[in-house]
Amino acid sequence: MGEVTLDTVAYAKIMLHAASYPHCAVTGVLLADGSKIRDGAKSQDLDIVDAIPLFHHSHYLSPMAEVAMTQVDALAQANNRVIAGYYAACENFRDNTVEKCPGQKIAEKIVEFFPSAVFVVVDNKKFRHHLSNPAIKLHNYSEGKWKVMDDNKVLFQTPYVLETVSLLLHKGVQKDLVDFDNYLDDISQDWTNLGIEKLIASINASNSIDFKND
Amino acid sequence: MRESLYRPMSAQTEAPLCSVPVTRITTTHKRLDHRFTIHITSPQNVHTTHHTPIYVLLQYIQVLKYKIFDLYRQWRENNERRSEDIINTYLQHSIDENALQKLGTEKYVIIEQIIYAALDCHYYSLAKMWTLKLNDEFPNSLRVLRYRVLCLEAEGQYKKARSELENITTIDRTQAPACKRFVTIYKAMGLIPEAIKELVFYLKQFISDVEAWQELCEMYLVIQEYSKAVFCAEEQILHSPHHHLLHQRLADIRYTMGGVENMELAKTYYCQALKLNPDNMRALLGLFLVTNNLLGQYKSSGSTKRKEIWKLSQWVQSEISKRQKKAKTPASVPTLTNLMLTLAITE
Repeated sequence: MGEVTLDTVAYAKIMLHAASYPHCAVTGVLLADGSKIRDGAKSQDLDIVDAIPLFHHSHYLSPMAEVAMTQVDALAQANNRVIAGYYAACENFRDNTVEKCPGQKIAEKIVEFFPSAVFVVVDNKKFRHHLSNPAIKLHNYSEGKWKVMDDNKVLFQTPYVLETVSLLLHKGVQKDLVDFDNYLDDISQDWTNLGIEKLIASINASNSIDFKND
Repeated sequence: MRESLYRPMSAQTEAPLCSVPVTRITTTHKRLDHRFTIHITSPQNVHTTHHTPIYVLLQYIQVLKYKIFDLYRQWRENNERRSEDIINTYLQHSIDENALQKLGTEKYVIIEQIIYAALDCHYYSLAKMWTLKLNDEFPNSLRVLRYRVLCLEAEGQYKKARSELENITTIDRTQAPACKRFVTIYKAMGLIPEAIKELVFYLKQFISDVEAWQELCEMYLVIQEYSKAVFCAEEQILHSPHHHLLHQRLADIRYTMGGVENMELAKTYYCQALKLNPDNMRALLGLFLVTNNLLGQYKSSGSTKRKEIWKLSQWVQSEISKRQKKAKTPASVPTLTNLMLTLAITE
């Protein structure tokens, strides 16, 4: 099994989505960079570049999931990206296993099309305003089951990811995150969250300047 | 250090703050853990210099506190939980009994709000402190006892919580909120079938509790008992027949179940939802999916059924494109017109 790199944007969106609906289960999909995907390779390295927050209610109903997946697919194709995974956080505070997450059917469907897909589960107990560890668990699909991946196979794009996301949480950026449910309530909203992407890019840029100076 | 001006003052006057612990444990619903930070009134709003007399500042803080209670009232009346906001303002303005004293009987509802918010945000000792204070005032109140049960539940002491709850229900069998706690305990333990059993038992006694029907509907969906979920959704519609979201929800369930019969029903309910609220986007999109599905089912192109569905499909598509044009969605977002192009069936 290859390594998985998580971009700050993808990780931040997962965490912000979980933080903006602390009382609900949340779900979304992960997009990987299409240019680095080799067809049929068994030990595929993944570069998760984006996450699309989808739902925070009505997880067990299919119509809006169908609409959302079609739209995400269109977005992915337009930007040369692949739907390469799924993320979820459980409603129950103590649950952090794949079995308790909503939308496993969607995740299995993703695996059907993309066998080296990953399933990210947010670990509610480790999630705090000042993140001291990533608070997520990655799973990959083998022999019909989701299995936890080794932590050393999961890489972050930059060394200051946790600080960046903690800063966003502290500033309340989670209130500005738009998921697909918000979009369906008001279709003028932007579920690709370009604003947050830009914000993270600017934080990253200033961070890398600081990093050089150190 | 602008804040340093305020700190000594808060230490003098607002003693209860000290009882808030620095370390947090875990609880049932709130995911985010709050670190303990004190911000006494946001400094940028208070134009203070070193010349401002201290009593003016004190008065200012008093005024702010009453503003906060207005805010709490507003949230309460709008049925917004806003736990994070409540706890943040509570800590920022270091609300204590003296501040609450002048509110009269509203004091108690505000304390209740604070207890709920504290439990949501893992501030257990804060919740316990207020519960104890209420207990001193109303030693035999079942409502206060219920807060104690809530604290136990939050800490995961389900057995103790259950026995306390049984005490409440033996004294007063009509305590609906207490009866519902049995359901939440099972749900927190992850035992959905048991929670359903308990909720069904509850609904036998309190049949007109619409929220309970909704919860039951959601739990049936989790274990994929769609036909039972439909029953619950229909029950909700009986209670408020003019609520468009309920119709849309029932249609969603019917669509998820699949099959021609369910699709026809889904179509009817989506149409009803749109009649009640033409701007329900979920219903429009759902109706589009339904018509697509039915067009695939009714193959013989001459039949009246197919013609009818075809007409409906055209109407829905024009409605969706109209709304898409009206909404100023950023260019990066794939349009719904695009969605229809990918999915639509052409004759």
